[in-house]
Amino acid sequence: MESQIQKIHNQLVAKEFTCTELVKEKLALLKENKYNSVNTVLEDLALEAAAKVDAKISKGEEIGLLEGIPFGIKDVYMVQGTYTSASSDLLKKYKSAYTATAIQKLLDAGAIPMAKENCDSFGHGSSSENTVFGSVKNAIDTSLVAGGSSGGSAVNVAADYTVFSIGGDTGGSIRQPAGYNKIYGLKPTYGRVSRYGLMAYASSTDTVGPLAKSIEDVAIVMNVMSGKDPKDQTTILSEEIKQNIVASKPEGIKVGYFKNFIENDAIDPKIKADFIATIEKVKAAGYEVQELDFFNADTLVSTYYTLAMAETASNLSRLDGTNYGNRIEDKNLKETYMVTRSENFTEETKRRIVGGNQVLSQGFSDAIYLKGQELRNEIEAAFEADFNKVDIILSPVTPGPVPKIGEVLSNPHAMYLSDAYTVGFSLGQLPTLTCPFGTETGIQVTGAKNKEQTILQFANFLNQVK
Amino acid sequence: MSKIMPVDILSSIKGAKSSEAVDKLFDVIKNAEINQNSSNQNAKNAVSIDDLRADVVENSSEITKQIIRENFPKEKDGYLVVSKVIEG
Repeated sequence: MESQIQKIHNQLVAKEFTCTELVKEKLALLKENKYNSVNTVLEDLALEAAAKVDAKISKGEEIGLLEGIPFGIKDVYMVQGTYTSASSDLLKKYKSAYTATAIQKLLDAGAIPMAKENCDSFGHGSSSENTVFGSVKNAIDTSLVAGGSSGGSAVNVAADYTVFSIGGDTGGSIRQPAGYNKIYGLKPTYGRVSRYGLMAYASSTDTVGPLAKSIEDVAIVMNVMSGKDPKDQTTILSEEIKQNIVASKPEGIKVGYFKNFIENDAIDPKIKADFIATIEKVKAAGYEVQELDFFNADTLVSTYYTLAMAETASNLSRLDGTNYGNRIEDKNLKETYMVTRSENFTEETKRRIVGGNQVLSQGFSDAIYLKGQELRNEIEAAFEADFNKVDIILSPVTPGPVPKIGEVLSNPHAMYLSDAYTVGFSLGQLPTLTCPFGTETGIQVTGAKNKEQTILQFANFLNQVK
Repeated sequence: MSKIMPVDILSSIKGAKSSEAVDKLFDVIKNAEINQNSSNQNAKNAVSIDDLRADVVENSSEITKQIIRENFPKEKDGYLVVSKVIEG
């Protein structure tokens, strides 16, 4: 698909419609909330920003590419003065006191904030059913889940309610819902986009990334959001993604895939067959393709969840209702903490906090948490070795097809295992793009750290031969 | 006082206990084999001292202060009211 950002930009400049008309049309769709994809509609903010764009156009002033483009924001990002609930009861009425760096950069570029989008509470889930705002429905088939945790963001893009949305990906939360709703979703290299103002889930793998309908739009948004930020000391320097290179044919690229992802009993036969067919197309186009050895799915999932639960238990310990949040008073401070957290966190969030505190406690930390850290080191080292052999690694997004609403949360262990193909790249802090083709739930294109331009270029080639 | 704290106290969640779904994950880690020769990535992931933020106090804007006050769960005369620390 062509760039939606470029198309709307041209239409605004040609005065085919005003920005206010465009925003009003999208606001009406978002307010309807047909898919439970929205927690808060940012009507006043959006109309105020749209009026500024219209004023510039009517005066004959030049507008930037993102000026007047409606976008959505996962409800875990701070936007000053707006509710930021993390889809939880605890923060349902919490107002952001400041704005996240990534969002501020988009606002500064003139993009129009439309809605805070429904998601799994604090990012804890793979279906966007773990939310106090109602399960998000899939944009293509409403009997299916939207995926998660950035489910509302994926659905809003797929349904054309927003032109792009900003999700958050800790273990697959952009890539999996992108695949479930047949759009693109990029998890950037860890540190490429500032996490300042993102409500922390697991700080060592949390990333900020776009969901959009075209590769070009992913690149446009990434170029605006990327960069070092003194407010997030883990941010890194990165180069601009050049659209002319993304559009060109990739030369001299070696491709790999993990054979144990494909040769196991857990993968759906159709997803396996479709993935192998994609690999054959890549070979037929003249690229060298290597089979790679990798860790088994159980080890990847267990390592990821052990570390993510430990980090979320620590990050969410601040949420006790003292300074903000829905405090429930009891007889003293300790009891107030207990009741506030017990009543205001969802079952899945409590499961992860408890798991995290278990692995961090005396007697468990050596056997589980520290061993998990060592396994992560091994996984990172294995990725380094693999990217000395190949430039791109292809993999399915999920082992199975899109589940029906109600199937996922009832079996948490199965939910954790469904993240088998996404969590490894998070532990490796690598850039990975979900493309909406290749298998029923899409295909992941991964590169070495900071190789976003290469993965977008290869995805563009895959889009042409699909 | 015992040094071992139960998980419900550690988590500040009433009745919290370990779950079978999560324990299955931990069992995989307990039984995993570690390659003793694996390189240590921690040093590579550490933040450079040059990237550390200057240790200075920055004053918040008036709007930020106003929203922080709006978020107080309980407020009296512009001050945050906290729960009783010790039962009387």
